[in-house]
Amino acid sequence: MISMPPSERDLHAYVDHQLNEADRRLIDTWLATHPEAAAQVRAWQHDAQLLRAALGGALQQPANPELDPALIRQRLKRQSRRHLASAAVLLIAVGIGGFSGWQAREMTLVRSSPLPMTDALQAYRLIAQQGMLPADYKVDTDGDMQRWLDRYFTQASRLPDLKSAGFEPVSGRLLSTDEGPAAMVMYEDRSGHKVSFYVRPPGPKNTFLPRGSRSDGDLQADYWSGGGYNYAMVSPTDSPAVQQLRQSLPL
Amino acid sequence: MSEFDEQLREIIPRLRRFAVSLTRNSSSADDLVQASLERALSGWSAKRAEGDVRAWLFAILYRQFLDAHRRSRRYARMLEFFTGRDDAEPSVERTVIAQSTLQAFDRLPTEQRALLLMVSVEGLSYKEVAEILDVPTGTVMSRLSRARQALRQLSDGEISSPSLRILK
Repeated sequence: MISMPPSERDLHAYVDHQLNEADRRLIDTWLATHPEAAAQVRAWQHDAQLLRAALGGALQQPANPELDPALIRQRLKRQSRRHLASAAVLLIAVGIGGFSGWQAREMTLVRSSPLPMTDALQAYRLIAQQGMLPADYKVDTDGDMQRWLDRYFTQASRLPDLKSAGFEPVSGRLLSTDEGPAAMVMYEDRSGHKVSFYVRPPGPKNTFLPRGSRSDGDLQADYWSGGGYNYAMVSPTDSPAVQQLRQSLPL
Repeated sequence: MSEFDEQLREIIPRLRRFAVSLTRNSSSADDLVQASLERALSGWSAKRAEGDVRAWLFAILYRQFLDAHRRSRRYARMLEFFTGRDDAEPSVERTVIAQSTLQAFDRLPTEQRALLLMVSVEGLSYKEVAEILDVPTGTVMSRLSRARQALRQLSDGEISSPSLRILK
């Protein structure tokens, strides 16, 4: 029960229909004998009416299909599936076990590493050197590799042609990284030397790279950006065949 | 699930209106609504509103708006998006629906706009509004009083000096 005379708050509550029936009647009676307050209350009521009328039109906007709950649910489900997919790669890698499994974990957890294309180097170690993670795709005939890559990275630059140095693409592997999905294509020469071509999106921070190279242990990575992706060629530093290759790289 | 979606579909126009009144820009308003619905639908089973679904969604949207607003101070692009129009000329939409109350409403600070929309237009209870704004009910009432006076003064001003500012 409110006390008389009503406070300004009570009058607002009256305007907003937030009083119980008894209080409401009390104020009705009081306003009848207080014309100044009654005028004030009417002005507030009038403003509220005008505001309702003026903003009523905003309810008649044409529907935006992007905002439909069913569509939003679908989008959310797709997003969580994508997260599950990244988690699956992680699980496969860790499932292989032991020390290399731990390295696989490190690989998939590489986060905005200060050194460019660390994930490309780790992928090379994991796949070319330790033989973990089987290939998703093995080449049968010439040209297959490019078609396989195009299925996932439509605008990526063409696979480099390393035939003159004796290297041919042999297998491909898709990987999931924090920067986005990545593909690694493995080249081999007759004596079994391996170099990899690695492509992935620039990542959430859109980190494009100036052309450069760096060595990391027994490996060297040559990296660059183009067509919206980042690339790396990873090769062992100690093999003469690879050194010769690097000189002839058409990058 | 689909019953809940039906309920949401009925509230979406109201959410969009609330978002427009906060952002004063219909495309960023819809972005805001979308982000809020995503938030609501991704967590709805866990912390579904106990009471009014509308009040719950308004609370999510208001918080998302404040977050974006805070971020906007850090990012120049977002700054333009959310606050660039604040002191600029009114948009075409606003000119078309140039009614003095609406003009006055548009000039109020964000929180007063939110408050008046929720109380006067949506008819939410003081208690619900207090929860949305995360302040005590008493604070809602004193802010409401200030917002009403401000709207009153601005409306009177608009009437005595007709739409010069709007038509320039």
